[in-house]
Amino acid sequence: MRVDIELGINGSRSRFAVEPDERLVSTLRDRAGLTGTKQGCKIGECGACSVIMDGKLVPSCLVLSASADGADLLTVEGVAQDGNLSDLQQAFVAEGAIQCGYCTPGMLLAGEYLLSRYQRPDTAQIKEAIAGNLCRCTGYTKIVAAIRKTAKKRSLVKSSAQGR
Amino acid sequence: MLRILRLPALDQVIEILSAQESETLLMAGGTDILPRPAALASTRLLIDLSQVAELQGIALDAEGRIRIGAAVTHQEIVDHPLIQRKAQLLSMACSSIGSVQIRNLGTIGGNLANASPAADSLPALVCLAAEVALASPRGIRFLPVSAFILGPGRTARAADELIESVRIPVVTGRRVAFFKKAGQRRGMCCAKASVAMCAHRHGDGRLTKPRVAMGAVAATVISVPAAERVLADRVLTMAVIEEAAAACCEAAQAIDDIRSTASYRRHVVGALLTEGLAEIYDHMQDLARRQARRRRRRS
Repeated sequence: MRVDIELGINGSRSRFAVEPDERLVSTLRDRAGLTGTKQGCKIGECGACSVIMDGKLVPSCLVLSASADGADLLTVEGVAQDGNLSDLQQAFVAEGAIQCGYCTPGMLLAGEYLLSRYQRPDTAQIKEAIAGNLCRCTGYTKIVAAIRKTAKKRSLVKSSAQGR
Repeated sequence: MLRILRLPALDQVIEILSAQESETLLMAGGTDILPRPAALASTRLLIDLSQVAELQGIALDAEGRIRIGAAVTHQEIVDHPLIQRKAQLLSMACSSIGSVQIRNLGTIGGNLANASPAADSLPALVCLAAEVALASPRGIRFLPVSAFILGPGRTARAADELIESVRIPVVTGRRVAFFKKAGQRRGMCCAKASVAMCAHRHGDGRLTKPRVAMGAVAATVISVPAAERVLADRVLTMAVIEEAAAACCEAAQAIDDIRSTASYRRHVVGALLTEGLAEIYDHMQDLARRQARRRRRRS
């Protein structure tokens, strides 16, 4: 018995008929065709499947699609704007924060979520924010640097826009 | 065949529970249930509690206690100003749960229902004298957390009852608190052992009404009255700290399992208490020095 749900994904709403025990990560990848969200451990340990659901970072392997009915989601496909990489994505490229790339979608969303909560996070806060995201290439230093630089850049842009 | 019901109101949940349908599973955040696919395989009806209106929110109840709805997430607890001001120990404990992703899904009610001996929120709730509110067709009954938790995965919740909220009495005065946890690493880790402590702090260096509880060193969270007796009404010194730490080691009924060994656990609870109390000792020394300086300046 399938369940009918509606999801807002990266700004557009779609309907899906999902299995009752189906995980959001599967709906995104197999039904919506958005394979940027990676499936890693399936038990919420690795963070590769992280998405932002109604403003909160969640592991999409631990969300039943039926429970996500009506939710607004941001996946890595929605991070770039009009085909241009976001500032955070550009910082990941510039810093060399991508090695095999498997953790990158989750890391980007963890970074975006952190920056939505704190304007100028310190290094400890950045590390805490990506504690649920494993990078098996162990390139954490560069990931932290990319997030830190983006935070700095954004707060400079913001303060100059406010005329300070 | 699995059926999922996402219910908006408490009375709807209670109605279904009192009908006693077999193989019904209650789920809020799902962070303990969904990593075990076998749990769903034997379930016929899954009730998703995450949207139930009556299970949300953090506020003072009619009796002036802090009421935390059962479906409130760990991250909401960490971020809430009322918890930070009046139940800081719980905020500290919840901030060490999983990762931010897990804290955004997992709930306080789920942590209680799951009744893991290693659950981070439980030692804090025991120290804060929290009570669990259980809703059923008979109304609401309250149980202290220590009476609610019966064993690993076992609680005093009856089949037709639902965890409605947690209530924490508000205590005034100057307080100190810490939650310390030993694990494989800092993030995403299940405790090998944990220690929570809170007490009233006095200007003369004394602690009163100390509460100490430990996780992952027995079948349930346990409080440590022997350590509380050592600390009560005494000026905190290194000798007192050592004596209290020894009481914690003595009280641990730890076992060997995949996460750690009995002997390490027994040892580390003493070390965790020492670390936490030493920080409080430093903090109180700092305060005393600052006060002395102020007094000198005034005279």
